[in-house]
Amino acid sequence: MKMRKTIALATMVAILLLITACGNSGGGNASGGAQDGKTLRIAWWGSDARHEYTQKVIDLYKKQNPGVNIDIEYASFDDYWKKLAPQAAANQLPDIMQMDISYISQYAKNGQLEDLKPYIGSKIKLDDVSENVLSTGLIGGTQYGIPTGVNVLGYQYNPELLKKAGINEIPANWTWDDYKKMAMQAKAKGVYFDESMAADIFFNYFLRTKGHSLYNAEGTALGYEDDALFTEFFGTLAELIKEGAVPSQETLSQNKGILEESTVVKGTGIGTWQWSNQFVALQKVADRPMALAPMLGPDMEKGIYMQPSMYWSIASSSKSKDEAAKFIDFWVNNEEANKLIKGERGVPISSKIKESVTPDLTEAEKQVFDFVSEMEPKASPMSPPPPVGSAEVIATLADYVEQINFGQTTAAEAAPKFRADANAILSNNQP
Amino acid sequence: MRNHSLKANLTGYAFISPFIIGFLAFTLIPMFISLYLSFTSYNLFSPPRWVGFNNFEKMFTGDPKYWSSVKVTLYYVFIGVPLRLTFALFVAMILNTGSKMIGTYRTIYYLPSIIGGSVAVSIMWRNIFSEQGIVNGLLMALGAAPVQWFGDPGAALSMLITLSVWQFGSSMLIFLAGLKNISPEMYEAASVDGAHPVRKFFSITLPLLSPIILFNLIMQTISAFMTFVPAYIISKGEGGPMDGTMLYSLYLFRQAFMFNNMGYASAMAWVMLIFIGVLTLILFKTSKMWVFYESEGGR
Repeated sequence: MKMRKTIALATMVAILLLITACGNSGGGNASGGAQDGKTLRIAWWGSDARHEYTQKVIDLYKKQNPGVNIDIEYASFDDYWKKLAPQAAANQLPDIMQMDISYISQYAKNGQLEDLKPYIGSKIKLDDVSENVLSTGLIGGTQYGIPTGVNVLGYQYNPELLKKAGINEIPANWTWDDYKKMAMQAKAKGVYFDESMAADIFFNYFLRTKGHSLYNAEGTALGYEDDALFTEFFGTLAELIKEGAVPSQETLSQNKGILEESTVVKGTGIGTWQWSNQFVALQKVADRPMALAPMLGPDMEKGIYMQPSMYWSIASSSKSKDEAAKFIDFWVNNEEANKLIKGERGVPISSKIKESVTPDLTEAEKQVFDFVSEMEPKASPMSPPPPVGSAEVIATLADYVEQINFGQTTAAEAAPKFRADANAILSNNQP
Repeated sequence: MRNHSLKANLTGYAFISPFIIGFLAFTLIPMFISLYLSFTSYNLFSPPRWVGFNNFEKMFTGDPKYWSSVKVTLYYVFIGVPLRLTFALFVAMILNTGSKMIGTYRTIYYLPSIIGGSVAVSIMWRNIFSEQGIVNGLLMALGAAPVQWFGDPGAALSMLITLSVWQFGSSMLIFLAGLKNISPEMYEAASVDGAHPVRKFFSITLPLLSPIILFNLIMQTISAFMTFVPAYIISKGEGGPMDGTMLYSLYLFRQAFMFNNMGYASAMAWVMLIFIGVLTLILFKTSKMWVFYESEGGR
């Protein structure tokens, strides 16, 4: 009897130990093999296609660097940041992280990221990368990220439908007035010209053409003072919706983020405004010839910039920084790896690699590469990355724009309210 | 002897320890940490900073979006729960008629609830009511204009409520069990006295079922207040259009994980906990007026 109880007790203890042991190996990966400096943790977000080829690139790296072990963590964009923030709080960030322009300031300013300057030249070779591109990884003058590739804004459209609407082509150096005229012309022919513009991205573009930006350089307030700019930009967009040249806000809300339901794919709309790397997916789903046109002006050159699609960053808490830097170098400069990547994380930053992968591209991918090459000499330097608190500012802006487009308020009324809200959020986020 | 009982107790503790450890580590301790955090400003990156009642003050006086989420949630709960319970009772009564296929029907009607809270159903719901979905297809076939079910600020919340009504299964099963417990003799006696079905429903079924209605009402109200998945999936996590589907828990989630306002989100969670607690208490207190316990002789 007594014996049996002792055995039961011993079994329980054993099971408990097992449970805690499992818990350890599950959560404690962070420090896994860091002691020998040969285990890397790498994390990114993206689609299944991205996970697949990234795994192949990692396998290739492991083959060329025997003895290096790489643990991977990936998720969708939203989930990725929900996982990363607690890891940062627990000081357990992966060695290499994919960083987004809207989050990098937050991680950099809180001391989570490594300054990569010392590695450039020695560990990470960036001789074939233009200064304009590399500088997009600077936050407050420190190189916290290496861009994985670049994108540029543009109008992506179906040339056949454009002709059907009675417009032969998008004129070079087109202006807002051309745009409004063409949109109304398309409407008269029963097709939409576009699907409105993502509020924060294109308002920032518009402000840049006027010599301002959405945030000031220090990230402490908005980057413009004159509410008339807000009224002009969002007033124009709302007007086009009201006129029926652009789908109603109901339709926009309903179909938001669903590529299959976009007017371009359904053939009821001519085009859409977005980043160049989104072109390939759009063309694939639309399954018809598509084209890219530059942004509209005046002063398009002041407005456009090479936007890093994402960065690679190294955690300041990493114990394998040299190895991490070596991996980033491999990503940027290895030809074989880039034949797997094929510009899916933006057009490669190294001009040499860009050339060498071009023959392997599909027609749509080639169009993107050409478009980005065409825009690169015209682009102006990027404004500083969005400051801490920008996620809340963007959500606030989206709220106001929705109210304007639903006709519940006017752009003129919303302009001062947005300024007050946004500045309050930004100053709240100052340390 | 004492030694022996100590050992016996130890064995007992060892057996319940997985639960105790789990409860402490994953429920109780986090709860108290969240209580502490609700009085701080905490963004996960820098250590929490004590701010006293600031979060609560902002919530009640300086955040219109908070109140709009409260309003949306109250709508969702006070319209959705009665509708769901009525529907559950209705289906339960139909299934209680003693058809031969009853087992099959029960399973079929219960199915949506098993999968109802899941992501897949929310996505399916979105697709059914999408611009080119089956519902709009039917409307167009009938010559009507398609409706932007999730694009219209007024319609989007009704879509969420409909989805919740459709997940009536668990309340239905409990109602069904309750209905089976009502003695047939009562109905027979009533028939002899010449009572018609409606009279029987209101004089026999409802009173005898009232304890079960109370149970379902409380459980469903609590779970409705905490609804998150359908609003998150259907609005793509944004609570739109025009905050029309911004349920309380979705707003809390956005504050916590989109904007990293962990302190504010914790404060929101505690206000919600207290509110649900008070509401449940009120339901219990008022239940004395309408719940009939047979065992107490109707007192």
